[in-house]
Amino acid sequence: MDHILSILVLFPALAGLLGFVVSKESIRAYGLTVAAIEFLLSLWLWFSFDSHYPGFQFVEMLPLIPSFGINYYLGVDGISLFIVVLSTFITLVGLIALSVEKDLKNMIISLLFLEMTMVGVFVALDAIVFYVFWELSLVPMLYIIGAWGGNLRIYAAIKFFLYTFAGSLVMLVGMLVMAYLYHQATGVWSFSITEWHRLILPLDYQIWLFIAFFIGLAIKVPMFPFHTWLPYAHGQAPTIGSVILAAVLLKMGTYGLVRLPLPMFPDASVYMIFPVAVLSLIMIIYTAMVAYAQEDMKQVVAYSSISHMGVIVLGTFAMNAVGISGSVFFMLSHGIVSGALFMLVGVIYDRRHTKLMSEFGGLAKVMPRYATIMGIMVMASVGLPLTMSFVGEFLSLAGFYKVSHAMTILAGTSIILGAVYMLTLYKKSFFGEVTKEENKNLKDLNGKESMALWTLVLVTIWLGVYPKPVLEPINTSVESLVSFMHKKAITDEAKKVIAPTVIEREAK
Amino acid sequence: MLEPISVSLESLNLGTLAPMLIAIAGGLGILVIDLIKKDLDKTLYVMLSVLFLFVDLGAVLGQTVGTRGFFDVMLIDGIAVLGQIVILLASMLFIPLALTSKRFHEFSYPEFFALFLFMVAGFQFMVASDNLILIFVGLETASLALYTLIALHNRERSFEAAIKYFVMGALAAGFYVMGAMIFYAVSGSVELGKIAEVLEASGFANLSLLLVGAAFMIAALGFKLSMVPFHTWTPDVYEGASATLAGYMSVVPKIAGFVVALRIFGYFIQSDIVWMRDILYAAVVITMTLANIMALVQHDVKRMLAFSSISHAGFVMAAIMIGTTQANSALFLYWILFLFTNLGAFAMLWISRHKASIWHERYDHPYEKFSGMIQIKPVGAVIMALFMLSLAGVPPFSLFWGKLYIMSAAVNSDYIILALIMAVNSAISAYYYLKLIVYMFLKDPSQNEGTIYSQNTSKPLQTIIGFSAFLTVFAMFAVNPMMDAITAYVQASGF
Repeated sequence: MDHILSILVLFPALAGLLGFVVSKESIRAYGLTVAAIEFLLSLWLWFSFDSHYPGFQFVEMLPLIPSFGINYYLGVDGISLFIVVLSTFITLVGLIALSVEKDLKNMIISLLFLEMTMVGVFVALDAIVFYVFWELSLVPMLYIIGAWGGNLRIYAAIKFFLYTFAGSLVMLVGMLVMAYLYHQATGVWSFSITEWHRLILPLDYQIWLFIAFFIGLAIKVPMFPFHTWLPYAHGQAPTIGSVILAAVLLKMGTYGLVRLPLPMFPDASVYMIFPVAVLSLIMIIYTAMVAYAQEDMKQVVAYSSISHMGVIVLGTFAMNAVGISGSVFFMLSHGIVSGALFMLVGVIYDRRHTKLMSEFGGLAKVMPRYATIMGIMVMASVGLPLTMSFVGEFLSLAGFYKVSHAMTILAGTSIILGAVYMLTLYKKSFFGEVTKEENKNLKDLNGKESMALWTLVLVTIWLGVYPKPVLEPINTSVESLVSFMHKKAITDEAKKVIAPTVIEREAK
Repeated sequence: MLEPISVSLESLNLGTLAPMLIAIAGGLGILVIDLIKKDLDKTLYVMLSVLFLFVDLGAVLGQTVGTRGFFDVMLIDGIAVLGQIVILLASMLFIPLALTSKRFHEFSYPEFFALFLFMVAGFQFMVASDNLILIFVGLETASLALYTLIALHNRERSFEAAIKYFVMGALAAGFYVMGAMIFYAVSGSVELGKIAEVLEASGFANLSLLLVGAAFMIAALGFKLSMVPFHTWTPDVYEGASATLAGYMSVVPKIAGFVVALRIFGYFIQSDIVWMRDILYAAVVITMTLANIMALVQHDVKRMLAFSSISHAGFVMAAIMIGTTQANSALFLYWILFLFTNLGAFAMLWISRHKASIWHERYDHPYEKFSGMIQIKPVGAVIMALFMLSLAGVPPFSLFWGKLYIMSAAVNSDYIILALIMAVNSAISAYYYLKLIVYMFLKDPSQNEGTIYSQNTSKPLQTIIGFSAFLTVFAMFAVNPMMDAITAYVQASGF
């Protein structure tokens, strides 16, 4: 299959277009079929992926605007492969659990377009193609939040759009400067990310460009202090919107960090470790505390999601293979776990039309199956061993431990604080007596909800117990990335900090 | 004893005049047809105009780049050809928009079409000359026809608009003549090429006088290009004109103005005259930003689009200020992409035009009118949204590529701050474009049965809008060949 990546990108888009013709009654079946085929295609990608080869595979290149060096250039390596699989997986699971009745057809078509942009971002190797999908993903999400969300949905949707749009325009200027510098150095225009990686720049250029790229990516992550759009977006978005936002869209930011600034500006990245780490720590601790103060279940999950993203950023800036592999793995586990948590909150919201913890209590008695899954996912979110989050969080922090002990210990409080707010949430809503009359007859999970959620539970535990099939290909690519950064770095300081495990191994 | 004047027909090179003569002949032809037989239908005149424009376009494309003609006042260089192509393309897309299903007063007059063709000829003269007098003649021919076209819309606000435009235009004409006069006084010529030579030779001896002349020129062109602070007429005139004519006015007079600005200021920029660059820099930034901020607070979509087109003009003026070949090519690329998108957006307003003001006592197209359009007219809402996303610069829609090229040209000439200002402005502009999308997609429909959105529609209108939407979506595949052709033309004229 030479064009499997193009098929992965274009299939949902084409399906979305054809979806306009499908009748209202059968649109759910249509959407599910498309998402299932897309998921199978991504699995096929995984199975035909050579996990021992560290570079980009299934590469496709077609000239788009040759005179300006813009190509339709796609490829996956171990870092992007699983995020692609995650995107198709979450879309499928989200569609299975989808409980929207109003305008179902528009919802499903928007989701299919969103799927195209998500896969597109993760397989793009040309900066402009990356940017196109990156920006395009805002449009369906704007519609999903704005049309199916809560009372403040329009405000939340516009805030989401404008924040990300403004940030990415700064990134675009950075990209143009990068292309210009590449042209200066080689005499050729190119927007190819792999070509850009080879360009060696002096430190001051690197720092400015790093900042330009970082602003664009950090808003998406969302890093403190650019995070204010996220609680609104989550608070107002419909369940499926929150699930995709938390599980995949936020990953665009952290994935972008690994793909763009790190290998392009290794010296600046090392130079920036301290400020970025401080921002991440604020993100981890402050948002965890804010999460504890929330009364709305969804807001707890939303803030916990920001807090965990902080750990991912920290792991990324460990500048060694353990930390970066850990953070890529944590991206996946965060995708699965936070996606599941948002889905779980959505389940209760569908039944009671409220997400306030004070409205519940004793749910474990009324909805035992629901409480079981919620229990498992709360544990996973806290980072209990044998769950996927543990692997990711542990590796991210272990990686950063080599950079700074004190900061890692501070970041480790995320586990304690996570336990505090998550268990409080669980205690308030699930334990004790059933106090409210309305809660006494709540229906437990129905078939499709169980199916979607149990799948997520299975993946969480499977990869928590045996992460090797995923971790190994990630590690292969990350190791080559880190040794590349080590080789490319021009300052001694950066050479010292960027620890290439491969070289260490060879030395032994 | 006077020498007998002998002019060889060859040196006149009448071929350079051919395109304008075709348009003028077309206009006269339409008047003659009306004289011979009254009560002919507008469809005849529309189609005749399209045919004349088509032949005109053929004549333009057939011209040899780099020739002069008609006592050397005509100059057919690359940007003259490019400018005429944009003008004619826009005109060919505009004139069939007269084929509405509702009867509009102005289209029943054959004079409308004759005036329209005269106006096109005027704009063509304006771009195809480097003689300040001929530019002025072209400018005034086009403007006088345009005033009348606005007034023909025959509504209360149209007269106001026409008078406003006329008065402002007259003032601008005065400024233009003053500027030209000073240039003449300094250099003894009204031909830009000669003026440049003389100035170069004298080492810019009369710099302070030149400054005054350039200031008058900036004011004059500033009116035409609606640069801030000379923009105040724009929203009111657009509001008074019919939506299609407003769309046309946001594209065609501007490109003519850009070509003239490129000819006049391009020279100063190339000679590295710092104050000229600074003045333009300030004008560009203020135009982009202020118009954007004004657009944020508009209640009417048409007025919003008017302010947004001012902002786009500011964006593109930056290319003239940067002055590299890449920037000047980006200017034309941007404007061609803008042509389709903006004309499409105004045409969408046009098909929802209702004779009575049933939505708002003053505005024809308040945002509220478009509430919940997705539920009533999904295709129309999606197309309108495409135009808005493109105007906002969301990739991969057409204007993104224009913005990319201009911002890249800025970066390549070390105007990184300017590129950042452009980025910030794009972000601000996203808000008001999004506002319309929000009304169309996210609000509930107010009580209306949906006929309002297609009140005025007809097959030709749908075709043109569909064509614009198609180009808006698939522009990325056309950018490369377009850019190659444009760069070749621009380079051929030495900009």
